[in-house]
Amino acid sequence: MTDLQILDAETTVALEELAAASGLAPREVLELVEYGAFEVSGEGPGYRFRAQTIVQARRVARLRDDFELAPPAMSLVLALLERIEALERRILEAECGSPR
Amino acid sequence: MKYKDYYAILGVERGASEDDIKKAYRKLARKYHPDVSKEKNAEEKFKEVAEAYETLKDPEKRAAYEQLGRYRAGEEFRPPPGWGEQFRGGAAGGEGRFEDFVDLADLFEQMGMRNARGRAGARGFSMPGQDYEVTANISLEDAARGTELQLELNAVEPQPDGTVKRVPTTTRVRVPKGVSDGQRLRVPGKGAPGVGGGPAGDLYLDIKLAPHRLFKPVGHDLYLDVPIAPWEAVLGQEIEVPTLGGRVKVQVRPGSRAGQKLRLTGKGLPTPKGGHGDLYCVLSIVTPSVLSDREKALYEELAKVSNFDPRGHLQ
Repeated sequence: MTDLQILDAETTVALEELAAASGLAPREVLELVEYGAFEVSGEGPGYRFRAQTIVQARRVARLRDDFELAPPAMSLVLALLERIEALERRILEAECGSPR
Repeated sequence: MKYKDYYAILGVERGASEDDIKKAYRKLARKYHPDVSKEKNAEEKFKEVAEAYETLKDPEKRAAYEQLGRYRAGEEFRPPPGWGEQFRGGAAGGEGRFEDFVDLADLFEQMGMRNARGRAGARGFSMPGQDYEVTANISLEDAARGTELQLELNAVEPQPDGTVKRVPTTTRVRVPKGVSDGQRLRVPGKGAPGVGGGPAGDLYLDIKLAPHRLFKPVGHDLYLDVPIAPWEAVLGQEIEVPTLGGRVKVQVRPGSRAGQKLRLTGKGLPTPKGGHGDLYCVLSIVTPSVLSDREKALYEELAKVSNFDPRGHLQ
């Protein structure tokens, strides 16, 4: 039986682990940090990230591979997708919060 | 082995240029890429498109594909004699054991791996194992208390001679309590084994909560539609509502309105760190569809004596 790692905001991972898990090069990760796509977590020595960043990084790596995107475009697409998802969550909340 | 018409999948002619193939792929990727698409079966369609592009964009793979011959999509076929020796470079000992390959994609994946090995030199070649991504459908109750899952995977296993085999494997994982819909989980090292000493891939689980008869989850909060009678809304009433932990009493205040939300703190889904989301009871006011004579008379009496004008603001 294997326990799972929850990719949430509570756990953190090192830059190397984030890069290995996502397929992004460490320099690409740092470039995406510069563009504001990824947020560095304050804890620990070196660069550390919230484990949920692995989900973002894997998505952005897929977009890079499938659309041949450079980091500035990766960062833009990621920001737009996350905005859409936040709006979808708000619609879901509004729908759930309305009487039938 | 079933034939796949990669040209038809990309919607290009057999003699299409590399540029046309790339354009067709980009157009279809934009439409079906699972990270951006809302199309039905987007993931399945994108896999087909990506597989076709992977083969046709590479001149060597495209030539090998052409040499397979022409068949109808889905038709059973075998590569022509000598095809294995010419294109698989003796990676499987030149024997051409095609029954090992259940899929055309495996055949070309093997070719890609052999080419990478050739570029790196037999000694220095290593690559990480493939990651597996699985959608795990679990009930709300299982998300609340944690559960064990048995996952049946059709694992890709690279062989020492450079070939790949698909092997059915079973992996058991323990999902901790507190996961929510859309949550991603990772099991490091439970993907496909690496090649040439490369690390194993990881297993990723995408949690999907099955629709529940009563509760709608939003993150760790739950929403529950609670119908009340008009007189309960006007006069107030203590009512009983279900929660994941059993029924609890809730006070509906006098003058309640439809759409009002009553928050039951800590009655939502548990969170991984030991907290809880909240349960929101969303009030709706329902009227009886059948009235007794006495009820009808009372409503008529109410209509006569009441000064309430619900449309006063429309004047």
